[in-house]
Amino acid sequence: MEYMTSLFSVALLASAIRVTMPILLASLGAVHAERGGVVNIGLEGIMIMGTFFGAVGAYAFDTRFPSLAQTWPNLAPLAGVLAAVAAGLLFGLIHALVTITFRVDQIISGVALNLLAGGLARFLNILLFEKATQSPGVRGFTPIDIPLLRDLPALRPLVTGVSPMIITGVVLVAVSQWVLRRTRFGLRLRAVGEYPLAADTLGVNVYHLRYAGVLLSGALAGMAGAYLAIEQARLYFEGMTQGRGFIALAAMIFGNWWPVGALGASALFGYFDALSLRVVRLPVPYQFINVLPHIVTILVLAGFVRRARMPAADGVPYTKEEE
Amino acid sequence: MKHRLLVLQMATPVLAILFGMLSASVIILAIGRNPLDVYAVMVRFNLTRTDSLFSILFKTTPLIFAGLAVALSFRVSLFNIGVEGQYYIGAFCAALVGFSLRGLPAVLHLPLALLAAAGGAMVWALVPIVLKLRRGAHEVITTIMMNYIASALLLYLINDVFRDPTQIGTPRVRTPLVAAAARVPSLGPLLAPLGLHGSDVEKLNLLLPVGIVIAVVLAYFLSRTRFGYEVRAVAFNPLAAEAAGIPNARVQFGMFMLSAGIAGLVGLNDILGFFGYLDIDFPKGLGFLGISVALLAKNNPLGVIPAALLFGFLDRGAAGVQFFARVPKEIIVILQALIILAIVVAYELLTRYVRTQRKREAELPVTATPAAEATGR
Amino acid sequence: MSDLFIELQGITKRFPGVVANDRVDLTVHRGEIHAIVGENGAGKSTLMRVLYGLYQPDEGTIAVKGHAVTIESPRRALELGIGMVHQHFMLIPVFTVAENVILGSEPVWGFGRLRMREAQQRVAELCRQYGFVLDPTAEVGSLSVGEQQRVEIIKVLYRGAELLILDEPTAVLVPQEVDELFNNLRQLVAQGKTVIFISHKLDEVLAISDQITVLRRGRVVGTVPAAGTTKAQLAEMMVGRPVLVELAHPPVEPGPVRLDVRQVRVPGRGTRPAVRDVSFAVGAGEIYGIAGVEGNGQTELVEALVGLRRITGGQLLIDGRDVTHATARAIRLMGVAHIPEDRHRRGIALPMAVWENMILGHHTREEFTHGALLNRPGIRGFVRRRVGDYDIRVADVEAPVLALSGGNQQKVVVAREFSFAPQVLVAAQPTRGLDIGATEFVMRQLLAARSSGMAVLLVSANLEEILSLSDRVGVMYGGALVAEFARGEVSAAELGLYMTGAGRTGEARAG
Repeated sequence: MEYMTSLFSVALLASAIRVTMPILLASLGAVHAERGGVVNIGLEGIMIMGTFFGAVGAYAFDTRFPSLAQTWPNLAPLAGVLAAVAAGLLFGLIHALVTITFRVDQIISGVALNLLAGGLARFLNILLFEKATQSPGVRGFTPIDIPLLRDLPALRPLVTGVSPMIITGVVLVAVSQWVLRRTRFGLRLRAVGEYPLAADTLGVNVYHLRYAGVLLSGALAGMAGAYLAIEQARLYFEGMTQGRGFIALAAMIFGNWWPVGALGASALFGYFDALSLRVVRLPVPYQFINVLPHIVTILVLAGFVRRARMPAADGVPYTKEEE
Repeated sequence: MKHRLLVLQMATPVLAILFGMLSASVIILAIGRNPLDVYAVMVRFNLTRTDSLFSILFKTTPLIFAGLAVALSFRVSLFNIGVEGQYYIGAFCAALVGFSLRGLPAVLHLPLALLAAAGGAMVWALVPIVLKLRRGAHEVITTIMMNYIASALLLYLINDVFRDPTQIGTPRVRTPLVAAAARVPSLGPLLAPLGLHGSDVEKLNLLLPVGIVIAVVLAYFLSRTRFGYEVRAVAFNPLAAEAAGIPNARVQFGMFMLSAGIAGLVGLNDILGFFGYLDIDFPKGLGFLGISVALLAKNNPLGVIPAALLFGFLDRGAAGVQFFARVPKEIIVILQALIILAIVVAYELLTRYVRTQRKREAELPVTATPAAEATGR
Repeated sequence: MSDLFIELQGITKRFPGVVANDRVDLTVHRGEIHAIVGENGAGKSTLMRVLYGLYQPDEGTIAVKGHAVTIESPRRALELGIGMVHQHFMLIPVFTVAENVILGSEPVWGFGRLRMREAQQRVAELCRQYGFVLDPTAEVGSLSVGEQQRVEIIKVLYRGAELLILDEPTAVLVPQEVDELFNNLRQLVAQGKTVIFISHKLDEVLAISDQITVLRRGRVVGTVPAAGTTKAQLAEMMVGRPVLVELAHPPVEPGPVRLDVRQVRVPGRGTRPAVRDVSFAVGAGEIYGIAGVEGNGQTELVEALVGLRRITGGQLLIDGRDVTHATARAIRLMGVAHIPEDRHRRGIALPMAVWENMILGHHTREEFTHGALLNRPGIRGFVRRRVGDYDIRVADVEAPVLALSGGNQQKVVVAREFSFAPQVLVAAQPTRGLDIGATEFVMRQLLAARSSGMAVLLVSANLEEILSLSDRVGVMYGGALVAEFARGEVSAAELGLYMTGAGRTGEARAG
């Protein structure tokens, strides 16, 4: 029973928070896309781009501007995050163009993006680093201790040495929730996800808002990838996203299409993810421990999807002209 | 008019492929190479060598199965993204039957192995389809999750349970060899009298004609039978189909199982047709390529054959491009994805165009009623 | 009154294969209620969409308050003071009244933060000013149809519209709600607003409007003042020939009971049942009409009767056989035909060919199959006969049914459902969205079915249709059958009372 204690340790919790982040960020992205009515199953591919460009950005800054990177150690990882976000935006733009302007089935476009991302990452990695599957190591952000809380001994493992990206992620949840609920942009985005024709007749530009939602999802999924590469693994390697982009979609559903809900759901997946990383002493072959989050995803979808209420026009292309 | 539409329908995929190549050219240009040279190398490498031609056919075989599998699910508005995992399971089941049974005659052993592959994949596919029909769990996410789980399961089975004992201590992690009676016969002996020899000729096996026959049968089945009619009704308007007494869920279930059964055969070209064992490095990603093939074929079983051929061509070309033009072969993966994006956009535009044309023509001009259609949303 | 508000000249709008508006002239003065009448498909909605900036005219000019303008979008129309209340409400059910009203012109603080309190107050003010009763914080999905329409009107007023276009506003209302709407409209006009009222219900048009413009096949037939114009004159202008208002309804001796509904209960969303212990029986050669405001369980009842919904209580008998738990297929095979309320949802598959739609549900019949295969020649012969018999205007039966007009699509459904000698016909809203010609055709078919000994259940929101066709009429309210009348026993106004739940239950003879 010794492994039981490790199931609920504070260290595990800290680890869970860390591995929650990429799922959470991608899930936040999914919330924005789907609140506007566009399903983005390309999140996985965008995350792959994020991991790759995150590592490339950080690495390139380090090697190009060594003195700057020396003086301000956070600049290189920041460059990585920005590069990842830019790549995410570009992929989001492709998805938006194909699904919103050309009204192609959103699932199909997403699947194609995933294929594209896989090929592109390998191709560019060969060009830049002369091997297909791995980048050189990169440096992460300087960890932060959260003031006040760090003095509580029980919480120490949780609040010391925290990645600034984690703090950013938590802030982003709050901001997203507020934006979606309380602002003009949020109201309009939700309107085009519920009943685009109604919004259109009131002069709300359905296409612009849907583009905005999808671009946001691209940026956030790119950031999710950057976190994986820069903060978690400190390098890019092929297949490091492990389906987290898809799991993020499940987290969005489980979180009922709200940022705060996505946080809760992501934390659940993060917990099992952390478990799969840590608890290697369970009497189960390690291959199965690795897919624990995937199994939980299926269980969650099977168990809770009926209770969720998705935006009414989610996944339905909007067309202005008459059919 | 009808001819113009037909020409347009034929031209659409060609234009989309050209557009995909054009987009990929940007990337090739960006790395300082001449795209025309790269494409020329690919075409020359593929078309002027006998080994290339047979290699293309060999690579086409699993793509026919994968393309058919995906297309069948698309035909009932389901996205079987799980062909990938289903063929892992199918490959393992076939290998298991192949290496564990001994002394059976080939007429029994091989069909048994094929059945095991199809059956195993169908059982694997039960999870997503039942959860979809019973619980409403989106099959895209569940099938993708099942892919990861299948991959893990296979690693475990090959590595921990069924690893060939004679290979322990070597770096080769694989199952024991399958019995000769369970291997798919090569087409080599048939081609030898035509003066065709070599390992690439030998690799070609009976599964290629089998795949083609299955495609033809499915095309007939979907267009001419009662069930095919019900499939169309369920795809185009499930609520109207239900009102007409067609059991939607049963039709969807049936097609998904058919899809999974064919998916189970995807890996056999390599496992039973070539290697004779299953190792942890067996060809992966064929299920995802199947999605591309199905999209290019517009889910038409007959269209799957040329579409698979194109992707087989590109796949073989990748080796030529890497070897002779010294551009990383991943450029072909990028090209494939770009072709798919271009194809789906092109088909969408074509569909819309055809619909407007149809509307113009179908109504007899004598009535003045159609205004109701034009104005009512 | 003579103050010119809108002047349309020579407006032409073409769609593939049809001219929806053909050189239309229209003049609307400030402060009047101007009705635009015409059959379905006469081009009323198209004209209004042009005026509201949803369509661009191919030819013609628009002048607002004397200035020539181009209305390229609804936004521009609103700037010009033109607002539209759509026939199908453009409301988001999960938003509150205030959220729906302000969408698109939201009052905000910095960072786009919504001034929601202010918005709610503004909505409340507008309601007070025009005598509307609405709670700004209520979720729109929970409101009645009449209330939702008021939200639509407030939406337009909130944007400062001086001219309100109402597209078939009474189509979804019961008589009492219509009266309320008319009071609201009079109040609006009294405070200086102008109203364009689109309808094909002539009584209402004559009751509410000052001027009436009649459209027929995309052209203006004429504009007349409401005062001094009769219904018959208008009808003749609309149709181009004198109209038969009455359909012959010869007495038919009802035969044995074919459709027997006993205490049937159908679950709805949540805990409330959608259909509560409904009982009635329809005999051979009888039309039983069910009137009711939409959403009172009719849809669920119909779907339950044809096997598309689970029945959780009571019994359903067809020709004396218990089919309470039978499948849609089994019920169909027993000779129950079904004209669904929404043909696009339940009746046809738009992308499928005309011939494929023509056999939907009958595709397993012996004459259409060879074992597992479809018998194409057999099907083709059948389809050709039906297309001829029902005068379905189609050039090529291989064409997808979406290429047909609404009337012809409905004919495909009717022709199919009347094939193979059905014993029971369940017809839900069978004339919805059809022009006068097609409506008359369908109504005659229903009467012919009655004469031939079919038991017909007619569910309709159109009281005129119910009253002119039915031998008996039941009223559904809140999932229950609250009243039942014999032919000639009840007026439209009385039915309206029961439909809103206001009828005295003592008179009800349900059960």
